[in-house]
Amino acid sequence: MKEVMEEAVLLFLLLVIYTPDAQGTRYSPPGKPELTRCRSPEKETFTCWWKPGSDGGLPTTHALYYRKENSDTIYECSDYHTAGENSCFFNKNDTSIWVNYNITVVASNALGSTFSDPVDIDVVYIVKPNPPEKVTVTVMELKEWPFLRVSWEPPHKADTRSGWITLIYELRVKLEGDDEWEMHLAGQQKLFNIFSLRSGGTYHVQVRCKPDHGFWSEWSSTSHIEIPDYLHREKSMWILIAVFSAFIFLILTWSLHMSSHSLKHCILPPVPGPKIKGFDKQLLKNGKSEDLLRVLVVSDFPPTTPSNYEDMLVEYLEVYVPQEQEVLLEESKDLHDSCLKFEGSTSDNDSGRVSCDSHTLLMDKCGEAKEEGRQTDQEDSTTEAEAQGQQKDWDQDTLMYANGDILSPEKSSGRVKTWPSVFSPLPQYTLSLPDQTSSLEMAKQHCYSDSLFCPGSTSSYLTHLGNNDNETLGPGSWEICLSNRQPYSHIPQMQTCQQVRSHSDVNISTIARKQEPAGLPLPFFRPTAYVEVQRFDEEDMVVLQSIVSDHGFHEGFPQMLQQEDYSKVKGVDSNNMLLLQTEAMKEDGDGCRCQDQVTNGVTESSCTLSISTTPHKPTAHIHTVVSTQDEMAQPASGYVDTATIFTLPTY
Amino acid sequence: MVSDSSLNHRLTLLFLVLVCLVFCRNLTSIGAAPICTNAQTGCQALSLANLFDRVIQHSARMHGISNDLHSEFEQYFLPSKNQIGRVSRNCHTSTILTPNGKENAQRMAREELTEVILKLLMAWRDPLWRFHQGMAHNHDFNNFSSNKALEMSDMVHELRKGVEKVADKMQMLGIISNSVSSQVSPEALLPSDSAEWHLMRDYDLLYCFRRDSNKVQNYLKILKCRIVPEHGC
Repeated sequence: MKEVMEEAVLLFLLLVIYTPDAQGTRYSPPGKPELTRCRSPEKETFTCWWKPGSDGGLPTTHALYYRKENSDTIYECSDYHTAGENSCFFNKNDTSIWVNYNITVVASNALGSTFSDPVDIDVVYIVKPNPPEKVTVTVMELKEWPFLRVSWEPPHKADTRSGWITLIYELRVKLEGDDEWEMHLAGQQKLFNIFSLRSGGTYHVQVRCKPDHGFWSEWSSTSHIEIPDYLHREKSMWILIAVFSAFIFLILTWSLHMSSHSLKHCILPPVPGPKIKGFDKQLLKNGKSEDLLRVLVVSDFPPTTPSNYEDMLVEYLEVYVPQEQEVLLEESKDLHDSCLKFEGSTSDNDSGRVSCDSHTLLMDKCGEAKEEGRQTDQEDSTTEAEAQGQQKDWDQDTLMYANGDILSPEKSSGRVKTWPSVFSPLPQYTLSLPDQTSSLEMAKQHCYSDSLFCPGSTSSYLTHLGNNDNETLGPGSWEICLSNRQPYSHIPQMQTCQQVRSHSDVNISTIARKQEPAGLPLPFFRPTAYVEVQRFDEEDMVVLQSIVSDHGFHEGFPQMLQQEDYSKVKGVDSNNMLLLQTEAMKEDGDGCRCQDQVTNGVTESSCTLSISTTPHKPTAHIHTVVSTQDEMAQPASGYVDTATIFTLPTY
Repeated sequence: MVSDSSLNHRLTLLFLVLVCLVFCRNLTSIGAAPICTNAQTGCQALSLANLFDRVIQHSARMHGISNDLHSEFEQYFLPSKNQIGRVSRNCHTSTILTPNGKENAQRMAREELTEVILKLLMAWRDPLWRFHQGMAHNHDFNNFSSNKALEMSDMVHELRKGVEKVADKMQMLGIISNSVSSQVSPEALLPSDSAEWHLMRDYDLLYCFRRDSNKVQNYLKILKCRIVPEHGC
């Protein structure tokens, strides 16, 4: 019994437990439905749709209840079928505009019912019209260009005629095969023209509408339209484009041509040509650089061949040595280039000085210039003068002077050209010569102090000069001092500082005459005289100048140095070397300052000076006088007659 | 001699001024083109269709502004959806009988419809003004909303005047009878309890006004298409 009871209980329990599993479903009240949307097509009726929840396994029914605003009456939907399943259609009688509806859907089954959430709607704001109807698309032509004309009608349900609904329209167009549509808003009109067409192809057109405050309708059914080809029109367009571009091209070309010059200047600025004297562009264009450089080299600088001394002369001084006058050669630093400014006919632009014409020797001009030059130069560094001297006075010539007694005014009737511009500056000299007379003195002093000292006689000479300056030293007389230290050919031991006076005219200053009746002062002048051979003019005159020795000189009269003076022409070497010998004939060089300067091949033998004829580098040219040498070999007196030398060519 | 010429000058000038005054008055009156009810007074007479178009455009703009304001309020001051009292929202203009359907509106006479419109517009003049005042003082709202409220208030005023002119025009044209009085008594329009709309919240006020502006616009359109249907109906 108990066992049967237990089995029955067990069976019952099992039945109770497993019976539902066997059936597979559970009964439950329906799930909560949900109102999805409510729409009104014409603002006169509307429909609401809901989505039912789970039905709970039991047949579930749904009901829609609504309540109007300001009314507590609950109405139930009267039409569940017109709009389909799970919908409720509100007809015109049930629809009130501008009234708030509170709608609720209830799902119910055997086990219960479930209410959905209420929804408030106002019909005015849920209007979604039907798409436009009777959409017609036609192809029309405007001046041989096609366009589409689309026309339509509002949906028949929407009453726009009475003004109850106001619809606005929109259409879209696309070519067959395209992915994107071209949208056009048409407003309230029912006609629209589309001009953005490409010829050839099929077009799709669609239209839709919307009320003032509502939803857009669906797109209308597609209308297809085919547009014929208008290719020839496009061709004409291309032709027009080509012509227009050609025209523009012509205009551009013409404007470029007109402004080519300025454009050339803008794009390719003219290259400045070389402005070198003697530069030949043709040579450059020919591409022969050697010729070009040769031209450059040959042209002016440096002068390799002293072919034309006249041209190469920057300035020169023509010295006229009177017959009785002794040519005293002095060194004067002051007789600088600028000093020797004569009434030169030709003047080099660069020199700033006037090259001296041999004919005219104007003291005044030169004096003034000399003063100025002196005053300016003396403050200047010596290097400048030296540089000037070196640069410009490469053609300078020194005056060769012989002993004092050699100077014979008669012989010096010829013209002696001297180039005292070569005078190398003496650092020690700072002569300032305010006036002409004193300048002369200073010059003399300078000259003297440089190489030779002019003792008493000299001083007397000077004083004489000074005294007689105004009288004798007329315009045109000049004192030339040999510059010192020309590294060309140092003719050592110029015995005397000879002062060469030049006259513009034939007249020779009497001072000289007075001074040197017999060349007496000259022997006293035994200074160290280093004569440098400088260049000569075309008349092949050797100009020697004394060179200052390196030891310091003081202003004033240099001490008397027992030096040799090379005033005696020994002879002419076979090598066309003019050999000078001292009077003293000292073989060896006690005090024989034979400076061996091989610059131009001038070597000195024992107290002999040889002047070679080899031309040398720019600064000075030693132009040996071949002819003169021969002639110079002749003098038997043993003195070098400067006048002879200088005037030899004139014979 | 000189005095004579100067006198002549002055006389001509005076004459010109007088002529100008006589004619200019007419010109100015014509140039200003006021909308006058009586065509005989010489002012430029607008056609009824033109008048209707103007008032309809005005009402459309008014409704747009109210819609914008309502949307703003709905965003920031969204009332609880579960509020039961929502349905019984009482707009103070609910006492005004308005047609709630197309048939009702079409069945209504033109005079009645015009009067309804005027009543509605009259009813909203003061509430909107106070609403704007409240928004101006309340710093919760930005200037944009406050300006909109002011604009709304002005538009109601202007629209009412426009509709009155339309009504006068229609009366003049004999379209409607003279039963529509341009001056509606304010007492009939105001709600029985004027304090009611004080209690209305701003959101409800905007909701009510949005609906009423839509009514006005719609009624005007119906009137227009009924009276002057040739343009856009």
